[in-house]
Amino acid sequence: MIERRLIERIEGEAELEFEECEGRVAYATIRFEHMRGMERLLLGREGRDALVLTPRVCGICGHAHLMACVLALEDAYANAGHALTLSPKAQALREATLSLEMIQNHIKWWYLVMSEELYALRGFTPPKESALRGAYGAQIINRAISALAGQWPHNSYMIPGGVTCDPGALELLQAQTALFEATRFVQETLLGMELERFLSALTCKEITGIQSDAGRVEAMLLELGMQEKGRAYDRFAVLGSHGFAAPARLRGTKTYKIDPAQVHTEAAITLRGESMARNALYRGTSYETGPLARALQRGDPLIKNMHRRFRDSTYTRIFARLYECALLLERTAALLRGVVLGEASWIEPPPIERISAEGVGIVEAPRGPLIHRVRLERGIIAAYEIITPTQWNLASAPRERPGPAQKAMEGLHVSEAAFVFRSFDVCSVCTTH
Amino acid sequence: MSTLKRLKRREEIIEGALKLFSKGGFYQTTIPDIARTIGMSVGNFYNYFTSKEVLAKELLLYISEYLGERIRTINESDATTQEKIRAIVAMYFEMVQSRPEMIEYFLRIFLSNREVFGEGCEGTVCVSAFITEMMLFFDDGVSCGDLREQDFFSAFGLFMGYLGGMAFLCGEKVLPHALDSYVDSITQNIYRALKT
Amino acid sequence: MHSKPKALWLQGLTCNGNSHSFLNHPQLGILMERFELLYHPHLPCTLSLEAVVTCMHECDLLLFEGAFEPTMRRAGVALERLLEHYGACAAQIVAVGSCASFGGVFGSSGGLDAQSQAWSEKIINLSGCPIHPEWLALILSGFAEGSAFALDAQRRPKALYAHLVHHGCTRNEYFEWKVDAKGFGVNEGCLYYDQGCRGVLSHGSCNRILWGGVSSKTRSGQPCFGCTESDFPRRDLFKTRKNMSIPHEVPLGVSKRAYLTLAGIAKTFTIERLSKDLMDD
Repeated sequence: MIERRLIERIEGEAELEFEECEGRVAYATIRFEHMRGMERLLLGREGRDALVLTPRVCGICGHAHLMACVLALEDAYANAGHALTLSPKAQALREATLSLEMIQNHIKWWYLVMSEELYALRGFTPPKESALRGAYGAQIINRAISALAGQWPHNSYMIPGGVTCDPGALELLQAQTALFEATRFVQETLLGMELERFLSALTCKEITGIQSDAGRVEAMLLELGMQEKGRAYDRFAVLGSHGFAAPARLRGTKTYKIDPAQVHTEAAITLRGESMARNALYRGTSYETGPLARALQRGDPLIKNMHRRFRDSTYTRIFARLYECALLLERTAALLRGVVLGEASWIEPPPIERISAEGVGIVEAPRGPLIHRVRLERGIIAAYEIITPTQWNLASAPRERPGPAQKAMEGLHVSEAAFVFRSFDVCSVCTTH
Repeated sequence: MSTLKRLKRREEIIEGALKLFSKGGFYQTTIPDIARTIGMSVGNFYNYFTSKEVLAKELLLYISEYLGERIRTINESDATTQEKIRAIVAMYFEMVQSRPEMIEYFLRIFLSNREVFGEGCEGTVCVSAFITEMMLFFDDGVSCGDLREQDFFSAFGLFMGYLGGMAFLCGEKVLPHALDSYVDSITQNIYRALKT
Repeated sequence: MHSKPKALWLQGLTCNGNSHSFLNHPQLGILMERFELLYHPHLPCTLSLEAVVTCMHECDLLLFEGAFEPTMRRAGVALERLLEHYGACAAQIVAVGSCASFGGVFGSSGGLDAQSQAWSEKIINLSGCPIHPEWLALILSGFAEGSAFALDAQRRPKALYAHLVHHGCTRNEYFEWKVDAKGFGVNEGCLYYDQGCRGVLSHGSCNRILWGGVSSKTRSGQPCFGCTESDFPRRDLFKTRKNMSIPHEVPLGVSKRAYLTLAGIAKTFTIERLSKDLMDD
């Protein structure tokens, strides 16, 4: 018998189809029904139009799409013999706003998804204000993005050659003040401790049992045995190059080289019905992507300690996201402190009409590597391909080689499986785009 | 004196001055000369224009508006781009013959005495009516797909430089045929040079 | 005590940009206290999507986000059916964002109001890609108060869309004196002539009600892409279409002759202050 479960509030919906054996999941598939065909919409347009359209793939990580897009265009410039140089300021601002978007994503995911679902799974009503706390934290962060990038969601302030804004002391202060306010929120309400203390913790013991929103979630996770559940392959991929991540393949904590050209996709399969999604693979093998992958690549002591004890369980996965939120708050503050206002924001590139070349842009988005591939012919988009992080994690593959989320759900009760599925931070709109 | 009468008097000064300037040149022509031509006292002249320089600018504005008004009629007609070119060429050549002093003034006085027009008449401000209509003509032409997109002054120079050159040749009596016999061939040349 | 009006947030083909933008409202909690939220894609609500699609519930206010594709299914039920039911019982329908208002990025069949005569009188179009949270807050508060909004010809509240994006732009003086931005990445110069800015052609309050309370596209050096208008997304968004150096489109309601006359005059003067960098002495 196949049991179906609609997973909603994941930037759209997904349908899980479970094959059960003695009340436990034997094999699960993931179906995404909606697709908008963003890549097709781009064909025949001037290259820079993609800077406006691709952020509209996703309301929560559109800024990551913007950055992947601008990097793809700049790569096409380089491949056409016009390598562009960016000012340190432009690079810092891009990295800062990308990080800020990631922070707001993690805060929302924590409060509006994980926490709510955990309470429900435990049979409790979530505190009334909990979701609003998440919206508050995210809102403050989005004010910081707006101060630099004009607005969030859906700005297009990164363009080939740099950024469109030229922030002065005032705009920088607005961003820093918002970041400061968000940091205070995360410390006082979410973590229940200073960022520094959380980030420098070496063992789970140091952060366990704290009176805070994170503490309450942790307690529920432990009660549900989530430190033993939701394990996938313990195999990870990071593709973006940032201050907070470097490209690597990992088996456990052992790192290997990775070549982005080896990333490919295949049609997703489901037990019944048709999915509009495609699975992303590296040389035929599926990998987990996202904060846990990045934490292990960086070698964050706390997450490494968790991983040693609980491997790639749901517990570790959830805390890796929280850890990244704290880490990025600290790093973004440092990035903004380093911005030299007098530097150029934008160095004019040759007209895009002169560019006929392919380009690849890769960034680490909230859920993992995001790849944009473009082919320009005299500046016009002749081909465009987007591979999103969720295509890795939520791959729906045959039972012989299930994708990471499929694997993580095996052997669990259906209700727990649905929770574990969400622990990957599911984004429906990105998966199919 | 009624406003209407005053305006009429003003126009008389302008018309008289135009003739004198184009015949005797800007520097050689004096205010008393102008006043005498139209039967006005020098003192009264100053009620209309405070100096010869102010008058010179007014003349330019006057011509620009005169030309602009005619091109505007052409712009607002239903004619095709090529027909409009023809109409502008024909209108200009007609003016060279019926109002030679205007074209003379434009070509000789304005262009060779730019220093007179310095402050307050920078760039194109005194010829804006004429330029605006030419811009609208080009804008329409490109918009409807007849004319090739290019820099405005490249096209404007080709068009007006050509007409100015013909007016000059005509004035120098170098042309073997009547000016209006060139309208069709010049229209063709301009259209071919600018079309998509 | 009266029961609170029931609000339902339904989605067509969308990126969720409007629902996320709405979460940026600084007084979200106070605002939503006035409603019983039946469904929202992110906020806690009283119904599950599966319960919503049974069509056994009723709402007073329908907030529709995304492009309407009649055959698209939500939780297995065609959007057409959902809209038929909730559109009929709602006293007011808000098309949240440009996809819902006009088709936008993802819609091929126009806006929500094109779908049925029966609803068109109830629809308020809140165009924008995405909407600003305060724009929606205005409509929500108005609904809770029972106040009506004057609408423009495209059924957008005049309180928000009578203005142009140009209004309040920090580059206005550069526009007036025809000082064009020398490129991107500068606060000096107007983005209308070269960078494709549609601020003088687009209805909206982006420079009156700032994003995040602090900024806007034009303030951060991006051209206005005209995302509140029915022709969004246009092509060639980062450049201005010109015919022999003359802008193809001039400010809304201004004749090209009037624009060129004024522009021609303004361009003849060199204003030293406006030709310098703002931070220069």
